[in-house]
Amino acid sequence: MEALLSLAGRLPEWAGPLLENLKRMIGWMPSLLKATQTTLLLSVLSVLTALVLAVFLALGKISKRKIISKPCAAYVFFFRGTPLLMQLFFIYYTLPMLIPALNIKSRFVAAWIAFALNVAAYLAEIIRAAIQSIDKGQLEAAKALGMTQWQTMRLIVIPQAYRRMIPPICNEFVMVLKDTSLVSIIALTDLTYQTKMIASNKASAMVYIPAMFIYLVITAVFTFIFNKLEKKLSVYE
Amino acid sequence: MSMIRTENLCKSFHSLEVLKDVSLTVEPGEVVCIVGPSGAGKSTYLRSLNGLETINSGKIWIDDVLIEDRDKGSHVNKVKMPKQQRLAILLELGMVFQRFNLFPHLTALQNIMIAQTKVRKRGEAEAREKAESLLRRVGLSDKINEYPSKLSGGQQQRLAIARALAMDPKVMLFDEPTSALDPELVGEVLNVMKKLAEDGMTMIVVTHEMAFAADAADRVVFMADGVIVEQSPPSEFFTNPKNDRLRDFLRRTLRKEE
Repeated sequence: MEALLSLAGRLPEWAGPLLENLKRMIGWMPSLLKATQTTLLLSVLSVLTALVLAVFLALGKISKRKIISKPCAAYVFFFRGTPLLMQLFFIYYTLPMLIPALNIKSRFVAAWIAFALNVAAYLAEIIRAAIQSIDKGQLEAAKALGMTQWQTMRLIVIPQAYRRMIPPICNEFVMVLKDTSLVSIIALTDLTYQTKMIASNKASAMVYIPAMFIYLVITAVFTFIFNKLEKKLSVYE
Repeated sequence: MSMIRTENLCKSFHSLEVLKDVSLTVEPGEVVCIVGPSGAGKSTYLRSLNGLETINSGKIWIDDVLIEDRDKGSHVNKVKMPKQQRLAILLELGMVFQRFNLFPHLTALQNIMIAQTKVRKRGEAEAREKAESLLRRVGLSDKINEYPSKLSGGQQQRLAIARALAMDPKVMLFDEPTSALDPELVGEVLNVMKKLAEDGMTMIVVTHEMAFAADAADRVVFMADGVIVEQSPPSEFFTNPKNDRLRDFLRRTLRKEE
């Protein structure tokens, strides 16, 4: 930093304010990165929870029994058909009024629940599509070989389907990561909330630059990891 | 004693009647080829034997055990038997499909082992030994660790035959096994089937390969519009057809082959 400043004297006039801004941006980094932890934790926890829920929803939607498939379809319809922001408000503000026992004090937990429930609906569709993309002929072959439905699912369908799920799940994860910025509206200190605080307290709109940069870096890292995973798993094709 | 017996099998898809009172008996060791124009119900007949299609009415015996008995109109199977028992009887039928239907995420060896270990509950070593000997039998010993996508169509179909044989079926059902193959690959699959027939396997083969039917079949069945029109030994079937439709069919298909 010292070296950078001593360099400033020898630079053209327009470089001065630029360096000054750069210096401020770097100064904001620690508090931004701290808030980033919340963003990351919320994204990862939500997607992991949603995945578990989505497996059941997907299998339920595929089920031939209407008593199982209809409620699952209704769930997906509801959570894909209403805005995520509204769902967040509903869980944080409305639910405690309806059922006092469900008063979620922690903003983080409320956000986690809202995101997990919402993302599960999208992941369920991804999982269902991947399962149903497996060629029907293989299912017939498995049946002709005497496998039960559950064996066919476990030994034939899922080992192939989960590889096909990885690119769309990666996509969904990146979307969730960006959508978590919505939680700033219920004053949960995520990266977006912290950015807004700095912007208003320091009266500097410059803070949006490092904030977006952080989002971009996280997205890039996760996309890279998912790409590697996808390559590794597609050996037989 | 019959290996497979069907009586008055009926099957329709919505309003389309695909099988109309099809009755056929296949003796142990017999090789029966079913030929006929597309849409005749040949594949549907084959698929209803092992439950891939559910018949609307009729009776099916496998190895003299009645497994399907449905009345016209009610469509309910009157045969009540535990699921496990039914499964065990259906395992006497092995099936080979037009499009091979191999498991693409498993190697050749694993394709043959998976049902042996998970359905027949054989040990790893026993299943592996069986798989290796079957791969040798169909001439694929050098492809043991290849994935299906690395095999030619003919090799894939031979692998599919080995996979079905691994379950020790008493009857092999072939559903147009060479229709999806390039012409130069048809021979290798037919050769494996011919050897199988010579070894005494009971076989029902739906096919368009008239030369194979003439050569390997004990009896050839002509199906059209969901009914069996004519059946006779190949010598008679091809040289002295009685039915006009069969004559017409033979004239058209045999001309195409020349």
